[in-house]
Amino acid sequence: MARQPENKPAEKFSSEDSTLIRELALLLDETSLSEIEIERAGLRVRVARNITVAATVPAGIQPAASAPVTAAPAASAATDLASHPGVVPSPMVGTAYWAPEPGAKPFIEVGTKVSVGQTLLIIEAMKTMNQIPSPRAGTVTQILVEDGQPVEFGEPLVIIE
Amino acid sequence: MFDKILIANRGEIALRILRACKELGIATVAVHSTADADAMHVRLADESVCIGPPPSKDSYLNVPALLAACEITGADAVHPGYGFLSENARFAEILAEHNLHFIGPKAEHIRLMGDKIEAKKTAKKLGIPVVPGSDGAVGADQDAMAIARQIGFPVLVKAAAGGGGRGMKVAHAEGELALALTTAASEAKAAFGDASVYLEKYLEKPRHIEIQVLGDGRGAAIHLGERDCSLQRRHQKIWEEGPSPVINAASRAKIGLTVAKAMREMKYLGVGTVEFLYENGEFYFIEMNTRIQVEHPVTEMITDIDLVLEQIRIAAGGDLPVTQDEVSIGGHAIECRVNAENPVSFRPSPGKILQYHPPGGLGVRIDSAVYQGYVIPPYYDSLVGKLIVHGKTRAECLMRLRRALDEMVVDGIETTLPLFRALVREPAIIDGDYHIHWLEQYLAGQQSG
Repeated sequence: MARQPENKPAEKFSSEDSTLIRELALLLDETSLSEIEIERAGLRVRVARNITVAATVPAGIQPAASAPVTAAPAASAATDLASHPGVVPSPMVGTAYWAPEPGAKPFIEVGTKVSVGQTLLIIEAMKTMNQIPSPRAGTVTQILVEDGQPVEFGEPLVIIE
Repeated sequence: MFDKILIANRGEIALRILRACKELGIATVAVHSTADADAMHVRLADESVCIGPPPSKDSYLNVPALLAACEITGADAVHPGYGFLSENARFAEILAEHNLHFIGPKAEHIRLMGDKIEAKKTAKKLGIPVVPGSDGAVGADQDAMAIARQIGFPVLVKAAAGGGGRGMKVAHAEGELALALTTAASEAKAAFGDASVYLEKYLEKPRHIEIQVLGDGRGAAIHLGERDCSLQRRHQKIWEEGPSPVINAASRAKIGLTVAKAMREMKYLGVGTVEFLYENGEFYFIEMNTRIQVEHPVTEMITDIDLVLEQIRIAAGGDLPVTQDEVSIGGHAIECRVNAENPVSFRPSPGKILQYHPPGGLGVRIDSAVYQGYVIPPYYDSLVGKLIVHGKTRAECLMRLRRALDEMVVDGIETTLPLFRALVREPAIIDGDYHIHWLEQYLAGQQSG
């Protein structure tokens, strides 16, 4: 919003100014900038993206502080899942799909009861589709991969309890 | 130039390849077995993909898993390192079928040199001196005996599909030939899936001297001098040096030019090593390795050429970095392969490295993927790292090597460092007066003495 230079009398808010602000706001949306400030002939305009995090914290510190906090739980969550007793790890490298073909109903969803050998997912590698069977009978409590996500050997796919 | 290279190997060579990729600005994909999840090169790579459980056949030799890893990462080239699939012509062809580049020689040359009988025939045709022997595989015993008598005992029975020092049996006299033939054939069948054997004259005290070559695949090729790899235990090299203490410039030029000319005629692509036995001033071709070798740093130190980087550049269509006239051999280099083995019994010693301090200083290079706290897995080779030392003269190099070996610390596992500390002080080594049986004779002497 427009800020008045201290030693100048307040100027009327003109339609030119609002056009400028609109333009700057559009520019902000188009780019990944979080704020734009320009100054010319007696007018300084600053347009900032509405950040829900407390705006008083200097921009430099905030991202750094949040990164390790979010990374640590994610990392320990991943290792927790790998050693979860109900985990079904990927037996191969490839791309995981929820359904036998695009648009078809997924093999399983959270809550599905499965039997031993029942197909959970398809992992595709080099145009061959490999059905991934359930190693045990139980209920699907978590599906850990997105549809179309690349997976590596041993990657946790599904939790069956 | 490639955008992304998948490193189809592990350990120190995977790290070596990663370093070359980084210097070329190429993105890296490290594939690994579950046992290598904490490997140094996996940590340093841009992306990593776990491709299987520890056994090599399920991971590093698992072609479908490697292809799938290329697919999901978008890698456009694969560097196979040494060992594993590096000399598997079928793998090179499969990659080509999937529009992926194989950073190595043409499949036809891998296949040609992979068959030791065909390799020898090719070498002979190209004017490279060969060891006197049977012209091909030997069949019934009578056939073999006649040939052996013609060559003159002692003779060596070698597996056609062998290599790297494996699948060989000596027959010192006529009475030993039959047993040597059957044993070699059955071992060959078990190890390489092919029982074909051929005969060669057995040289009593040769040196193992190999010539490094580099070809652009379009008819240009150069040699980068020799490495002397005579110090071997059970046909495994443990100490390599270049130049060879017994080769002078004239000798080097003569064999080098012969080899380079042969590579030009073949239109050889990439790096390769032509291996010879050398006795009484004569070179005898034994085999050609169509890959980057473990001991490549020796040549790098004396020629100042980054062989892995050149491999990548040439595979991407680049030219040779220098002409033959521009190749200059400077100073002397020695490489010691430090293994996780007991230095006397050579029993493997995998486990956690509790203390690790690599030596440093001018002219000292360590090619190793280990670090303090690293656990050497029991599933693969026992190489801890390669210590490579360079000096302006062989004497300076030896002093530097002695200093570097004394400084190097690897605790928590047993290593062969004590063996190298003894070798660097041994008169025959200091004099450069050794041959391919010297080390085993020395070790036998140490055991009994």
